[in-house]
Amino acid sequence: MSTSTQTPTNPAPPAAQKITPPTQILNTTIAKLYSTIHPLVLLILVTVRFDALVQDPISELLNDLPFLVGLQLLFVVLCLPPAGADEKHDPVHKSKAGIRRRVKTDAVGGVSGIVAGFIPGVLSLILTTLLATPVLTLLLVLFGAPATTHHAQTVLAGAHMAVLASPPLIYVHGVDGSVWREVWGANRPGDVVWGGALGTCVGAWFGAVPVPLDWDRPWQAFPITVLVGAYIGYAVGVWLGGSVLFGRRLKIEEDEDLDLDSEVEGKKTE
Amino acid sequence: MTIVLNWVALVANILVPISIIIFSTGFFPYKPLLPGFARYEETNESRLPPAVFDKVIFMVVDALRSDFVFSNNSGFTSTQSLIRSGVALPFTAHASSPTVTMPRLKAITTGSVPSFLDVILNVAESDTSSALTYQDTWLAQLKARGDKLIMYGDDTWLKLFPGMFDRADGTKSFFVSDFTEVDNNVTRHISNELIRDDWSGFIMHYLGLDHIGHKAGPESPYMVAKQHEMDSVVSQVYTALGEERHLQNTLFVLCGDHGMNDAGNHGGSSVGETSPALLFISPKFALKGNRYDSPTVALRDYQYYRTIEQTDITPTLAGLLGLPIPLNSLGVFIPELLAMWDDARQRLHMLFANSKQLLRTVKEAYPNIDFDYRHTGIDCDLKSLTSLQDVQCAWFRVLHLSHKTDAYSDMDALAKSESALLLFSKSAQRLMSSTASNYSLQSLYLGLGLAGFTACLSLLPIKNPLVKSKLAGTFLLFNIISHSITMFASSYVEEEQEFWYWTIMAWAFYLHIKSCGTFYGKAIEEHDSVQGRWLSASAISKFGTIGLAVSYRVLRRWNQTGQKFTGESDIARSFFHSHQDALWALVFLTYTDSCSQILFHLPGSKLWRPLAFFVTVAALGFKLAFVASDSPELLCDSLGGIARMLGGSSLVFQARVVLCGIFLLVVLSTYSRTNIANPHNDSSASPLFHELLTLFLITQSKVTNIPVFLVFRVQVNILASMRLTTVEHAITCLLMEYMTFYAFGGSNSISSVDLSNAYNGIAKYNVITVGVLTFTSNWAAPIWWVSATRLLRYRQSWKKTEIHVLILTFHTAAMLMSVMAACTVLRTHLFIWTVFSPKYLFSIAWAIFNHTVVNVLGEFPSFFFEWR
Repeated sequence: MSTSTQTPTNPAPPAAQKITPPTQILNTTIAKLYSTIHPLVLLILVTVRFDALVQDPISELLNDLPFLVGLQLLFVVLCLPPAGADEKHDPVHKSKAGIRRRVKTDAVGGVSGIVAGFIPGVLSLILTTLLATPVLTLLLVLFGAPATTHHAQTVLAGAHMAVLASPPLIYVHGVDGSVWREVWGANRPGDVVWGGALGTCVGAWFGAVPVPLDWDRPWQAFPITVLVGAYIGYAVGVWLGGSVLFGRRLKIEEDEDLDLDSEVEGKKTE
Repeated sequence: MTIVLNWVALVANILVPISIIIFSTGFFPYKPLLPGFARYEETNESRLPPAVFDKVIFMVVDALRSDFVFSNNSGFTSTQSLIRSGVALPFTAHASSPTVTMPRLKAITTGSVPSFLDVILNVAESDTSSALTYQDTWLAQLKARGDKLIMYGDDTWLKLFPGMFDRADGTKSFFVSDFTEVDNNVTRHISNELIRDDWSGFIMHYLGLDHIGHKAGPESPYMVAKQHEMDSVVSQVYTALGEERHLQNTLFVLCGDHGMNDAGNHGGSSVGETSPALLFISPKFALKGNRYDSPTVALRDYQYYRTIEQTDITPTLAGLLGLPIPLNSLGVFIPELLAMWDDARQRLHMLFANSKQLLRTVKEAYPNIDFDYRHTGIDCDLKSLTSLQDVQCAWFRVLHLSHKTDAYSDMDALAKSESALLLFSKSAQRLMSSTASNYSLQSLYLGLGLAGFTACLSLLPIKNPLVKSKLAGTFLLFNIISHSITMFASSYVEEEQEFWYWTIMAWAFYLHIKSCGTFYGKAIEEHDSVQGRWLSASAISKFGTIGLAVSYRVLRRWNQTGQKFTGESDIARSFFHSHQDALWALVFLTYTDSCSQILFHLPGSKLWRPLAFFVTVAALGFKLAFVASDSPELLCDSLGGIARMLGGSSLVFQARVVLCGIFLLVVLSTYSRTNIANPHNDSSASPLFHELLTLFLITQSKVTNIPVFLVFRVQVNILASMRLTTVEHAITCLLMEYMTFYAFGGSNSISSVDLSNAYNGIAKYNVITVGVLTFTSNWAAPIWWVSATRLLRYRQSWKKTEIHVLILTFHTAAMLMSVMAACTVLRTHLFIWTVFSPKYLFSIAWAIFNHTVVNVLGEFPSFFFEWR
């Protein structure tokens, strides 16, 4: 369930382990407002179009795609700092700490923000189509989507998930290799961008739960529950990533065995 | 602390089987059976309805689903013309689950609903304890009258009725690839027997149609051809009924014992499996003016014509043949056949005898219930009556009517009485079929409580390690809790494989994060010391997790299992059946790999290498010969010749050579291990044992599953490249055991138990050997993974081993607890005997055999070897 649009080709570890800090929402009223409303808008869209989705998943998913792209672009341009914006505005910070930190300034918002976000926006569209969609489609198949049938549904579901998960990530981080390596290892600190991406995938995973039930409902057909799960997961991820889970990371405790052994040693010496 | 761990592990693992025993005593149905044989009450002799028929030809076609006879794409064309002309009365006979042959034959002959334990006895086929020698059946009634019985076909009849038949020729249903021999063995006797007039019960049981279902499914081209063949038998018998003088009073019954699902299997409770066809055929029926349309359009629900209970066959046959109804019958005389008596009083008497016999069984099951309406104060006009009150009220109505119209003179009153009696019989049947078991709630709660206590007990000492390994501990708890919840939903029990496929992907994701985290985090400190080697290992584990995920995806499709999507294409059944070359290339590769691993791990002596090589080759030869007789369609032409060459010696002998060879190698390796004091030899015994076990498990696996062992080896190598902690090892072990069980084609349905390898190397039935072979063939993959993860945990400290065992014990106890709770809470659920009880049986196998024997007891020998 990794969310990545890029496989790190160079496996050499960085000299020191540094985590790129979490992304903050732009410090404008409209950004703060819209970042809360945006997931809600998407959920309403799902609710409204649900019946049509059950009726004819392929054409509905295809028709919804442009609207989804539009909404996601609106969200990233309005609420998120574009890639490279901070380096221009805060070069001192970077050189001092050796970290590319994204300190938000009001200057990024407004008209200049939209201009600055033009290239990252286009980039995120291109990469979402060329990289994120195939990768997420493959991940869907890996997690149990039909491999020999339902190809159109799987690709469209992958595309929807890609449009949910990747444009914010690409818009904010560009092609920063170290960030993408953190994404690949699911090791990013919680923020709106990463929360949305991880939430999309986890939600899709949970979306598979109703499929085996013997209720014989048309909505139990393959991409529907998974996609609805992805949308809900995205919304929850954006909300939680921006609030409760901001800055938190998935961490795996490594030292359990050493503790156990030292305990044994301790007993022996006593 | 260590001592506490010892004791907790010991006590918890003793409590697991105890809780199972206690729960089982309360859960498995105790059915009060009336002993002895039914007799006519002499006082009523005068009003006895006379026998309509004096002979019966009972033709069972195994797995004859209703649409095979009745639908418009059936091959039973002349039978359908019999239906149209009114000489054959068609029904759909509802066969309650378990839909396997032995319980169904019990239902047909005794009229009772067989207890669930009969399923296990059906698996343990030759167990004579399931015989019906001392139970009342219509066969026993015929025999008691001094009549002769003959039987040709499935030898289950001979096991059920030892000594009952005067002439018999049993056919063993061993190789389901045999479509023709099993049936020719029956048909060749028919013409002789139809000429003879010394018998009054002639039973035929055809197996070929069932074999076709198992092998090729209901849609296969063999099916229609077989239906035509069966149809010709029907017309042969029907022609004889008209031509032979001694057969003019003969009833001909054609029925299926059960149906089949879309994949051609049976055992469960899907509508296809529970809907066999039933036909009563005699020229006498034509006079009664019954006319049915035939063929009819194919129905999705398989309910053609009127649906009756399969148990109804017993009282109907008994009544028509002039026999007393068998004591434990729960059947209701089929109303359509009442027309055979022209006198309404005789009809009424038949129903009355049926009702009284049913009342006796009800009274036996409910000894404290009074059926005299003067004493009970039940208000029968109430809307909501319990099913028992329903029966009582129906009986009161019968009594009421019989008092009012004592002389049975009034036609209207007769009709009223007839319907009242039928109503009572139906309600009594419903009541008795549903309460086939009287649960002992006390034992249920005690067993459940004990399992819960065991889970808590084993959780206590592992709480700390679980809490410390945050994400892995959370994952384990999430896994156990969500699995427990799914045990309460019948569809998730039926589709349990989906749960494990679903969670194991999350685990693959966890391992992926871990490998990335190790790579970028912890890696740095060790970076300098072992740079070159470590880097490559890390690369394996990093990209390995992707490989792991891909391999899980492949395994998921290897065998399609479960109920909802049965019959969908998969690798084992769809791909390999059209690509035999690929199958055999992979099988040869697996054997080569296994052989080279054994040779690699063998200790020095020159003598053993040829032996080990010979054993592997013999194992491959046995598999080839086995496939040639069990599923020849999987052999490609070039291999057919080799298989025929090997066919010279018997399969039993070949299997014995292989099993003895493996056993000899295990003994030799143990012997050398204890005698040759070689300090550098520390890693040979355990891996060698694992390799020999692998060869054994390959021998015990279906041929289409053999290549999976190659996948397993790749997975183990990936897992070995990661440095997993104790908790992670335990979780991996757990998930792999369950996931691979389902990937090998297992499911929670009795029909999925694979018996094809249960008789490897044994000629005669023996509970223990057949049991062990059945378990090892169905649990081959879990056993392999227990052994493999044991090697992964090589030289683990005893304390860690105990924590490992405790985590597995905790999981087992929690799983048992949830299954027991589901069975207790849902004990009146519609699916209790079809979904939840089979799941409980599988849980017992998981807990006692897989957990206690393989996981826990298996820990001791390896520990012994490692620390000598």
